[in-house]
Amino acid sequence: MSNARHDAATDGSTDTGTATDTGTDVDTGTDADDDTDGHTATGRQHGTTTTGETDERIRAEWTDYEFAGDVALSVEDLDVYYGDEQALRGVSLDVPAESVTALIGPSGCGKSTFLRCLNRMNDRISSARVEGSVELDGEEIYQDAADLVALRKRVGMVFQSPNPFPKSIRDNVSYGPRKHGDVDTGLLSRLLGRDDEETEAELVERCLRNAALWDEVNDRLDDNALGLSGGQQQRLCIARCLAVDPDVILMDEPASALDPIATAKIEDLIEDLAEEYTVVVVTHNMQQAARISDQTAVFLTGGRLVEYDDTDKIFENPESQRVEDYVTGKFG
Amino acid sequence: MTGATETGVVRGRASTAKTVAAAAVGLSALLFALALAAGFELLSLTGRLAGVPTIPLLGGLLVTLGAAVIAFGAGSRLELVETDPSRSAGLVAGTLFTGIWFVVTGLVASQTLGLGTVGWLAAASLGGAAAFAVTALPREDVGSTVPAGALAGSVGLVMLTGGIGPDWSWSPAGFSDAQSVTVFPRVVIPIAVAFCALVVGWAAAKAYGGFGARGRHLGAYLLIYLNAGSIIAVLFVLVAFVFAKGIDPVMAGVTVGLGVGPTTTLAVDLVIPFADVRLFGLSYDVVWPVSWPFVMNGASILNDVNGVWPAIVGTIWLVVGAVALAVPLGVGSAIFLTEYAERGRFTQVVEVATNALWSTPSIVFGLFGAAFLLPRFTPTPKKSLLAGMITLGFMLLPLVLITAREAMLSVPDEYRDASAALGVSKWQTVRSVVLPAAMPGVVTGVILGVGRIAGETAPLILTMGGGTFVTVDQAASVVDSFQLTLSPPFVTNPELTQATTALPYQLYQLILANVGQSSGIENMDTFRWGTALVLLVVVLSFYAIGIATRQYFRRKLDYE
Repeated sequence: MSNARHDAATDGSTDTGTATDTGTDVDTGTDADDDTDGHTATGRQHGTTTTGETDERIRAEWTDYEFAGDVALSVEDLDVYYGDEQALRGVSLDVPAESVTALIGPSGCGKSTFLRCLNRMNDRISSARVEGSVELDGEEIYQDAADLVALRKRVGMVFQSPNPFPKSIRDNVSYGPRKHGDVDTGLLSRLLGRDDEETEAELVERCLRNAALWDEVNDRLDDNALGLSGGQQQRLCIARCLAVDPDVILMDEPASALDPIATAKIEDLIEDLAEEYTVVVVTHNMQQAARISDQTAVFLTGGRLVEYDDTDKIFENPESQRVEDYVTGKFG
Repeated sequence: MTGATETGVVRGRASTAKTVAAAAVGLSALLFALALAAGFELLSLTGRLAGVPTIPLLGGLLVTLGAAVIAFGAGSRLELVETDPSRSAGLVAGTLFTGIWFVVTGLVASQTLGLGTVGWLAAASLGGAAAFAVTALPREDVGSTVPAGALAGSVGLVMLTGGIGPDWSWSPAGFSDAQSVTVFPRVVIPIAVAFCALVVGWAAAKAYGGFGARGRHLGAYLLIYLNAGSIIAVLFVLVAFVFAKGIDPVMAGVTVGLGVGPTTTLAVDLVIPFADVRLFGLSYDVVWPVSWPFVMNGASILNDVNGVWPAIVGTIWLVVGAVALAVPLGVGSAIFLTEYAERGRFTQVVEVATNALWSTPSIVFGLFGAAFLLPRFTPTPKKSLLAGMITLGFMLLPLVLITAREAMLSVPDEYRDASAALGVSKWQTVRSVVLPAAMPGVVTGVILGVGRIAGETAPLILTMGGGTFVTVDQAASVVDSFQLTLSPPFVTNPELTQATTALPYQLYQLILANVGQSSGIENMDTFRWGTALVLLVVVLSFYAIGIATRQYFRRKLDYE
C-alpha cells in the first residue's frame, strides 16, 4: 500500500506540469477515503505513510474557527482538479479581515492551489477545474458574471519569486493604476495639460513607503527594476500590488527566495500591512508562520484542510496528531 | 625530480623551448595571413617579399616551421623539455592525419610519379597507414608533431626547390578537352600554405601548452581563432573590394560649397480639399551645399556625370512599403499565435507554412506578384511600385512572423502572471509587457528580412521594373503625388502604380541586359561598380537603422 501511495504522489506532481508555480504541485494520496472509513479500518493497513504521517480521521470541528471581526473571504467546499488529479478536497474556511492568515503544510498539499483560487489565478491554467464557492465580502467570485479585472484589483497577489517588469521602478509601481485608467500620463493627456504626473508621484511614493522600500530607491526611481536586489524586487512587487489598492493581498511564499535579512524585512512588512489589508500568506517556514500570522490553516497530504485556528493554538496545542507531528517537525 | 611526478599548480616559467613553440605559433598565424593575402591577390606570387621571391620564401618558412615543431616533439620525447603528454594523440587526430597523408602520397604517386591505379592506391594506403602509425601509436608529443611537421616540411620543400614555381601548372587527366581544368599556383599555393599553416600551427599550439589537456585546449583555440579571423577577413575583403572598385565613379565630380548642389523646393500649400481653392502657399528654395552627381543625378545624355538617384529612391520606397505591410501583419499574427491561439495542430500548421514560405525562392514570389497582383491595380496588367512593395512585403512577412513569435515565446510567463494578478486585461498585458520585452527580437527579424529584400532582383523584374535609366525628374516621388479626390477612393497616388527602378534591378540590367549606353553612360564597367557600392551602402544603412532601433528597445529593458 505504501508503494501505491508513493506512486500516486509522483504522478500528481508531474501531471500538473502546466502549473507555472511549483507550489501548485498536487499530491493526491490513495488514502483519500480515510475520513469516511475511519482510521480503525485503514489505519491498521497503513500504520504510517511513507512520509511518516500517522493516519487519522479529520474532524470537522478542527477547522471550525470562531472569530469576532468581519469576514473578508469565505470559502465553502472548494474542490480543485488538475485534469484527473484532485488537488483540493472540500476545503472550507473563513478569512477574517485585516489580519494575517498563514497557510502551512508540506509540499504538494494544495496550499498554493488554494491561494490561487482566491483571485481566480487558476483560470490561467487550462487543465485546472474549480468547484465550490468563494465569496469576497459576500459576493460569489465563481459565477459567470464575475469580473476578473475587478476581482484581481481587489485581491492582489505577490508571487514566490520576485517578478518585476523590465521597466523603471516608477513604471512598475504605477503600472496597475495606469492600465486601469486611474493614472493617465499618456502623450495625449500630457499635450492637453491634464496628465496626472503629480498623482502618480504621490502614489509611487506612498506605495514604496508602505512597502518599506522608499528610502532605498527614492533617488533612482527611473532605474530599471531588474537592477534591484532580490529582496528589494520582492518589496517592489508588494508595492506594485498595493498600488491598485486591493482589499486582500495573497502572498505565495514571498520570502522563500530571499536571504534572512530580506526575509525579516518582508515579515515586518506583512505585519504592518495587516493593519489595513487582509493578508493571506502561504509559507513553508513554520517559524515564519508562527511569527507573523494571527491564524493558521494547516493543509496536509491529499489536498485537505486539517486544522484551522489561532496561530498560538496550532503551534502550542493542536487538536490533530498529524498537525502536531508536522509543526514539531516529525515529518514534512 | 619531484616536479616530474607531481602535477605542479604553477606552470614553469618561460623556457627556451617554450619560446620556440610560441614563435612557431606566431609564425604559422603569419603564414596563414600571407596565404589569405595571396589568395585575394594582395600578395603577388611572382614578385618578391622582403627581397626574396615569394614562393620560395613561403616554402622556406614552412620548412622552418615543420622542423621547429618536429624538434620540439623530439625534445619532449627525450625528456629534454618538460611537458605533460597523454599516451597517444588520439584516434581523431590519427584518422585526420591518415586522410591527409593518403591524399598527399596518392597525388604524388599518381601525378608526379605517374603510377597506375594499383600503384598509386598502394602508395597512398602505405602513406596513410604510416601516418596513422606515427600519429596514434607513439606518445602524444611525437604523434601530434611529427606528421604535422613532416607535412609542412615536405610541402615547403617542394616550393623551396622550385617544384612548384610561378610557371607551374597542372592539368589533371581524365577531363575531356571541353571541360579541361588547369590549376595554377595562384590557387594551389594559397590553399596549400593556409592548410599547412593550420595543421602545423595546431601542433605548435599543442606543444606550447605542453601537450595533454592544456595543449589540446590551446590547439583547439588556435584553430577556432584562425577560422574566425579568416571569416572576418573574407567579409572585410569583400566590402573593401566593392568599395575600392566603386569609389571612383561614385565620387566623380563631387563638389562642396555654397550653392553648388541641386535645388529643393520646400512648399506648403494650404488647399481646401475637393474645392480646388488655394488659401495660401509658401515656397522656399533650398540649395544644397553639396553636389554629388552620382547619387543626386539620374541618367541623361545631357549630364556630365550620370547617377542613380531614381534607383535609390525606388529601393528606399520598396523597403518602406514592404516593412509597412509586413511588420504589422507579422507581429499581429505572432501575437495571435502566441497569446491567444491554443497551442496545437493549428499553430503547428501555421508554423510549418511560414517556415516553408520563408524558404520559397524569390522568383516564385515574383511570379505570384506578376500573375496575381499586376492585373488588379491597373486596367491592363502593368508593372508598378505598389506591386513590388506588396510582393516584397509577402517575402518579408514569414521571417517577421517567425522571429516575432520566437521573441514572444521567450518572454517569461511570470510577467504575464504578474500583470494578470494586477487585474490588467490580456490585450493590455500584451501591449505593455509582452511586446516591449519582445521588441528587440522583432527588430532583429525585420533587420534580417530587410537585408534580404533590399537586394532582391528577381521579383522586381517581374513586378516593378520599368525603365532602367530614367532622368532625375522621373524618380518616384510618392509623398508629393498623394491627391485627394471627391469620389472613392478619395486618396489616389498615381506614383504607386507607375513602374520604376531600383538599385538591384538596375544593376542586373547593367550587367546582363547591357542597357544604358543609349542613356549616355560612357564607361559601363565603372558605372556597374558604382551602382554596386551604392546598393551596398543603402543596405548597410538599413542595417544601421535597424541596429540603432534594436539598441533603443534593448536599453529600455536593460538595467546596466
